[in-house]
Amino acid sequence: MNQTIVSYLSQYEFYDVLLNLFGNNQGLLAFAIYLIVALVVVGFCATVGGLGTYAERKISADLQARMGPNRVGPYGLLQFLADGVKMLTKEDIMPYTADKFLFYLAPLLALVGVFATLAVLPWSSGFMMADLNVGVFYLIAISSLVGLAVFLGGYASNSKWSMLGGMRGASQIISYEIPVTLSVLAITLLAGGMSFGTILSHQEGTIVNWFIFHNPFAFIAFFVYGIGAMAETNRAPFDLPEAESELVSGYHTEYTGLRFGFFALAEYIEVFVVCGVGTALFLGGGNLPFNISIDIIPTQFAQVVIFVTKTCLLYYVVIWARWTLPRLRVDQLMSVCWKYLTPIAIFNLVGCAIWLVMFNGKSLADLVFGSH
Amino acid sequence: MFIELLFLTSALLTVGSAIGAAVTRNIMHSCVFLLGSLLGIAGLYATLGADFVAVSQIMVYVGGVVILMLFAVMLTGGKDFVSRAQNLLGLAPAMGNKWTYTIGLLTALVVVLTNVKLITNVVKAYPAKVIGNDFPSTVNQIGHLLVKEHVLAFELSSVLLLGALVGAAIIARPRRQG
Amino acid sequence: MMGLASYLIISLILFVVGLVIILSRKNIVAILLGIELVLNAAALNFVAYSRYVTNNLDGHVFSLFIIAIAAAESAIGLAIVIRFFQIKETIHIDEATQLRN
Repeated sequence: MNQTIVSYLSQYEFYDVLLNLFGNNQGLLAFAIYLIVALVVVGFCATVGGLGTYAERKISADLQARMGPNRVGPYGLLQFLADGVKMLTKEDIMPYTADKFLFYLAPLLALVGVFATLAVLPWSSGFMMADLNVGVFYLIAISSLVGLAVFLGGYASNSKWSMLGGMRGASQIISYEIPVTLSVLAITLLAGGMSFGTILSHQEGTIVNWFIFHNPFAFIAFFVYGIGAMAETNRAPFDLPEAESELVSGYHTEYTGLRFGFFALAEYIEVFVVCGVGTALFLGGGNLPFNISIDIIPTQFAQVVIFVTKTCLLYYVVIWARWTLPRLRVDQLMSVCWKYLTPIAIFNLVGCAIWLVMFNGKSLADLVFGSH
Repeated sequence: MFIELLFLTSALLTVGSAIGAAVTRNIMHSCVFLLGSLLGIAGLYATLGADFVAVSQIMVYVGGVVILMLFAVMLTGGKDFVSRAQNLLGLAPAMGNKWTYTIGLLTALVVVLTNVKLITNVVKAYPAKVIGNDFPSTVNQIGHLLVKEHVLAFELSSVLLLGALVGAAIIARPRRQG
Repeated sequence: MMGLASYLIISLILFVVGLVIILSRKNIVAILLGIELVLNAAALNFVAYSRYVTNNLDGHVFSLFIIAIAAAESAIGLAIVIRFFQIKETIHIDEATQLRN
C-alpha cells in the first residue's frame, strides 16, 4: 500500500476533528488535503524558482566581483517579482509561421512535467504527497516530458535557431537520461526498493550511513548522477540548447512574456527537483543526524528544513559550476555521455551488485567500525 | 471516488487523443495526440493497479518512442500525403470512397457481433466483481516473475533490444555512394 | 462503471483507430504510429484480464514485454524510414516497391 500525506496525517487526533468537519466524508477530506498540500508545494517551488533567478544573478555577480541586483527590496531580494511583473506586461508575440497548437502546448508541457515530479519529492519522512512504490522511477519517467516540451517548443517556433536548439535539447536530454537512470538504479539496488520512503529509511543516523559513503561505487555514482542531472536540466556547461553565442537563445528564442517565463520557471524548478532527488538518494535526505524516536510534527518540520538546506547547497554548486566552466561543444557533449558516463555508470551498477553479494549488504562504515 | 475520476479522465484522454491522431492531417500533431493517448493508457494502467507497467509506459513511450517519432518526422520533411478527393466525409484522411466504407462497415459489424458473442461469456463468467481499492505493490512480484518463471522471455527480449540497437545504428548510418 | 467490459471497449476503440490509421495514411511514420496504438490496445487487454480474471501478474509481465518490443520495433522502423528517405527522398509508402536500391 502506498503511503500518502493523508495516511500520514490520519494517525493524529486532529484528523478526526477534520473528518467530523467534513461530515465523515473521507474522500472529500482527502481531496481537500491533497489540494491544500499541492497548492503549498507548488507555491513554495514557484517561489524557489523565482528566488533561483535572484540567487543565480547574485552568485554570478559575486564570482565576477560585481554587485548584482540590489535596488528592489532589501539586498535586491524582490528583483524576481519585478522581473515577473515585467514578463506579465510584455506583449505576447507569436511568429506568423508558427505552429499555433504546438506553440501554446510546449511551455505548458514543460511546467506539467516539472510540477508532476513534485508529487513524489520527499520533503520529510511523513510530508510526501505520495510515497509511491515506484517513486524514483516515476520521477525520472515523468520528467522526460520536459525534453519533449523543449523539442516541441523548438519545432513550433519555425525558426532555424529554435529548431537547432530543440533538436540539440531533445537528443541531449534522452542521452543523459541513461547514465542518470543507471546511477539511480545502483542506489535502488542498495536500498532494495524504488520508493523514497525505503531509500530514506536506509540512510537514518549519522553521515556515514548516507548512500554516498556506502561503498566506493556509490560515491562515483553520485558524481555521475550530478553531471548527468546538470546536463538533463540544460544547465551550463551543458547549456547547448540555449547557447547564446551560437543559437541566440535556442528553443525559446521566439517566446516572449509569460510563455518564456513558463520555460524559465520550469528550468529553475527542475534544477531544484534534481538537487532534491540527489539529496534524497545520496545525501540522506531530511534525516536528522541523531535518532529521535518520537514521531511528532515538529520533527517533520525539522526534517523539511534539513532537506531544503541540503538541496540549496547542491543548488549553489550547480550555479557555481555554471559560472565557472566554459561550454562544451556538441560532439564533446555526446562523447562525454556515451563514451565516459554510460560505461562508468554500468560499471558502478555491476560494482554495487557485487558489493552487495560479497559483503552481505553492509556499508563501508559497517565494515570498518563493525557496528553490526 | 478518486479512481473513478482518474478512470474517466484517462479513458476520455485515451480515446479522444487516439481519434484526434487519426483525424488530424498534420503528422506532427498526430504524434502529439499519440502522446496524449499513451499518457491516458498509463492512467488506465494506474486504475488497474499496475503501477510498474504504468511508469514503464511513460518512461518508454514519452521519453523514447514519441521523441524518436518526432525526430523521424523532422528528418523526413513531415509531409503527409493526403489527396482531398478521398476524404471520409471531409473529416479524416482516408483511402477509398463511400462504397468501400459501406462494405467495410458491414464487415466490421459482423466481426464485432461475433466477438461480442464470444466476449460476453467471459464478461458474464467474471462479472464486475468489486476487487476493492487495495493496490498491493507489484514491483517485487514482477521482479520475481521476470527472473524465475519468465526468465527465458526476459533474456530473449534483452537480446532483441541489443539487436535493435545495433541494427538501427547500422541501418540509419549514411553510406558512401557507389 | 469500472469493470472488465469498459476496459475491453476502450481497448477495442484503440485497436480500431490504430487500424484505421494504418490503412488510411500514406506516410510511413503515421503507419508506425498506428502500429503503436494497436500494440497498446493489446497490452491494455493483458493488464485488464490480469486484474479481473486471473488475479496474478503474468499479464503485467506480458505487457512489459509488449512495451519493450514496441520500443525495438519503432526504433528499427524509424531507422528504416530515415534510410528510405535518404535513398528516395520521400516517405510515401507506395514508393517502397523494391527490395534493393
